[in-house]
Amino acid sequence: MKATSEEVQTRVKKLFEDGSIGYFIGYETGSDSLHVTPCFLKSGQVASRLVWNPLCANNLSKYLLDFKNVEGKVGIMVKGCDSRSVVELLKENQIDRDKVFIVGVPCSGIVDREKLLEVLGISPGEVVAVEDDGDAFLVTIKEGTQRVDKEQVLRGECLVCKYPTPLVYDVLLGEAVSSLPWVGDDYSLIKEQEALSSEEKALHWNRELSQCIRCYACRNICPVCTCPECIFDKKAPRWISKANDVSENLVYHLVRAFHVAGRCVDCGECERACPMNIPLRSLNKKVEKDLLELFDYTAGIDVEQQPPLTTYQVGDLDEFL
Amino acid sequence: MVSQTKSRIIEKNRLTELLDKLAQDYHLIAPVRDNNVSFRRVESGSEVTLDYINTVLSPKNAFFPQTETLFRFSRDDSRGFRTEPGAEADREQVIFGIRPCDARSLRLMDMVFNGQYKDSYYLNRREKTTLIGLACFDPAETCFCPTFGIDPASGEDVDILFSDIGDRYLVEASTEKGAALLDRFAEFFAELRGDEEQLREARKAGLAGMKKLDVNAIADKMAPLYEGDYWDSIGMKCLGCGICTYLCPTCHCFDIADVSLDEGGERFRCWDSCMFPEFTLMASGENPRPNRKARVQQRFFHKFKYFHDRNGELACVGCGRCLRYCPVNIDITQIIEDVTSGKAGNE
Amino acid sequence: MSENIYLPRMATIQSMRPETIDVTTFRVTIDGSDGTGKFEYKSGQFAEVSVLGVGEAPISISSSPTRPETIEFSIRRVGELTNALHELEPMDKIGIRGPFGNFFPLEKMEGQNLLIIGGGIGLAPLRSVILNVFDNRAKYGKIDIIYGARSPQDLVFTSEYKEWQAVDNTRLHLTVDRGDEEWKGNVGLVPTFLREINPSPEKTTSITCGPPIMIKFVIEALNELEFSGEHIITTLERRMKCGVGKCGRCNIGSKYVCLDGPVFTLKQLEEMPSD
Repeated sequence: MKATSEEVQTRVKKLFEDGSIGYFIGYETGSDSLHVTPCFLKSGQVASRLVWNPLCANNLSKYLLDFKNVEGKVGIMVKGCDSRSVVELLKENQIDRDKVFIVGVPCSGIVDREKLLEVLGISPGEVVAVEDDGDAFLVTIKEGTQRVDKEQVLRGECLVCKYPTPLVYDVLLGEAVSSLPWVGDDYSLIKEQEALSSEEKALHWNRELSQCIRCYACRNICPVCTCPECIFDKKAPRWISKANDVSENLVYHLVRAFHVAGRCVDCGECERACPMNIPLRSLNKKVEKDLLELFDYTAGIDVEQQPPLTTYQVGDLDEFL
Repeated sequence: MVSQTKSRIIEKNRLTELLDKLAQDYHLIAPVRDNNVSFRRVESGSEVTLDYINTVLSPKNAFFPQTETLFRFSRDDSRGFRTEPGAEADREQVIFGIRPCDARSLRLMDMVFNGQYKDSYYLNRREKTTLIGLACFDPAETCFCPTFGIDPASGEDVDILFSDIGDRYLVEASTEKGAALLDRFAEFFAELRGDEEQLREARKAGLAGMKKLDVNAIADKMAPLYEGDYWDSIGMKCLGCGICTYLCPTCHCFDIADVSLDEGGERFRCWDSCMFPEFTLMASGENPRPNRKARVQQRFFHKFKYFHDRNGELACVGCGRCLRYCPVNIDITQIIEDVTSGKAGNE
Repeated sequence: MSENIYLPRMATIQSMRPETIDVTTFRVTIDGSDGTGKFEYKSGQFAEVSVLGVGEAPISISSSPTRPETIEFSIRRVGELTNALHELEPMDKIGIRGPFGNFFPLEKMEGQNLLIIGGGIGLAPLRSVILNVFDNRAKYGKIDIIYGARSPQDLVFTSEYKEWQAVDNTRLHLTVDRGDEEWKGNVGLVPTFLREINPSPEKTTSITCGPPIMIKFVIEALNELEFSGEHIITTLERRMKCGVGKCGRCNIGSKYVCLDGPVFTLKQLEEMPSD
């Protein structure tokens, strides 16, 4: 069974009380009943604000970087995907394992708001709550409850999720989930795109990225984009122009995809954050597929396993040399 | 009440044709659906969608483009340069489908680009544009324009207002520019039948539950919050991306940069965001807004105090885009409530 | 066709006088034989100086409008644009937009004693007011200039000190943070030096410019010496782009440093947030 909000609140309160943590990063109810927002607690007295439900999409691990120099341990709630980002951050020594208390929450899928509203044919104001119910979500609306099949309304990254249970944690709240029933070939869309001709691929990406407004939300929300000064913000040398132009946008996205190669865990935050609905996940998923095939490597699983692009083995492919 | 200047109706089945003609005679900008709905230049009426509440990007792009060439330069013989101003709007523009909130935002932008120094790029486009608004009867849950005295069903800030009253559109011109356009395309419009006002009132029932926040004296209430912790948690959540500022119809910050190409180049301006860390970074390395808390504070203080101090108006029109698209759900309506209720001062 | 506020006028560098290893004073003339060669400014104003193809930056005008044939900028090599400027040579062209900003209230200062306090490159905008009052010497009381830099090699306008000290009822007090074997003058930070000099606030207006931290401590000291808020004037620096109050970048609270400043009295600063 999935942990309830109350179980999370109780546990966090205790963690504060016994001095295990000085801060906690979790979720609380947001602007309406279809939103949650990150919250930062400094004491257990307000732990009752915490929630854990199918709306908790945010990957909170990025915020751990803000607590690097803070006294005391910081607690954090992580789902399976989030925990894999934590593994990557640990690999790179971006965070100190001893300074973090990880509360793992096995997850069986996060709901995509837009899909939910469309499938149920309702408006946001009508929703009271969304709860997990095995292979469906239970949506409480003003007139009663409705059950909706998860597969119809899950976020894209949940449809292909292989790690629903956190891989690194200090305490696990809720029953571990070994696998999700709807997950099949997670590269089917990528394979379709690979089959396109070069011209078709160029057309597709030029079209999508011409809509990019360079808000940098994808970069800022990404847990493995950790550079204190991003290459794209540098003035000397200036790598891309601040002007919004499809060729500059292409450079930004392609270079970022390579910078996070081997570190991206497909948490889906970049695509969720994008206000222009650009299918960013497919870019990173393609790189992920290539790394699996070329190096038998998957990000975010094993802290000891270094990303292929930062290490060299004698047997590595070098057909381009 | 129905506009005094000039009122007509247009049958719904004639709208596409009208848009076709507008696209021929003007640079027509209207809502188009692809990944989502945005204002784009259209060449025919069939590209236009009217099935939207509001666009992702506001129409400020039509007056203050995200990237705009200010001037080009090339070397001349005497070690100097010849400059050539960037192309200004040479065609008359028509924006079709602008919502009353976005139309009001243009009046606020006018205050920025006018003043002691006149920004000819923006003002020229503004002058050459006819605004055709689309009245709002089914607002989104994130809309709160009545807070700022904006009537979603009114054409105060546009040249012509189209209102979907069921089987036809009520078309009201409230400026001479608008009336002139109605005359020019008179073949599409017909006389009123007499029940338009009634039909409109019926449609306005959908606006009854709209959020109308209290912003009375908010600029004064902001002042003591400059010191204190209220903005800490918001600064912590904030990603420092540019979504709120780029989508906001009243945000006007920009950067200016040069591009060198062979023996010349150009100087352009482009949108910038006060949320970006290097926005106020000086060459010496000093940064008066060195953290996200300071930058988040700047954004809300600018909208609800600084702009008001300078221009007598609040720099927000309640379009709700920032709330809708913020990836971490920072809620401007909650912030307004916290400030005016005094809760923000007690945190 | 209305004036294009973003289009710079071309100017020619007439001379470049190195002040220190990283500061050079550029003397320029505005091009244009049809009367557009004029550039009327007041002490305290700045211009947006461009190297076309590199960029543009706000630079204080360090010359005085009382000497109309000269427009001078004393520029420290610190960023992309200033580096490019330093690579230029006399007769090269630059772009100038402006003058922008407000100016020192010279009329209000008439009859007052003047206490001018500068640190490092902060002396550049102050030089405009110094030369201006020298050219109208009779209108002002005694003049004390307190100026300090990190080391003797960082002092600017050294070639002019003799001329300044020779002006009637004028004293130049120099200090450095770190001396060397040849330095015979005072060693110590400007705010400390100021306290040691212990100037009287009576009928005195003080103008200060320098690194933000120096301005902060100087103002503290002036407050302790009982100078009134109206008579403490400073000129501030911020990152700027448009120079005309539109790009939204240089504000401190509701004030734009490019429009309402860069010259501010302490009284005005106290009403602004502590950015």
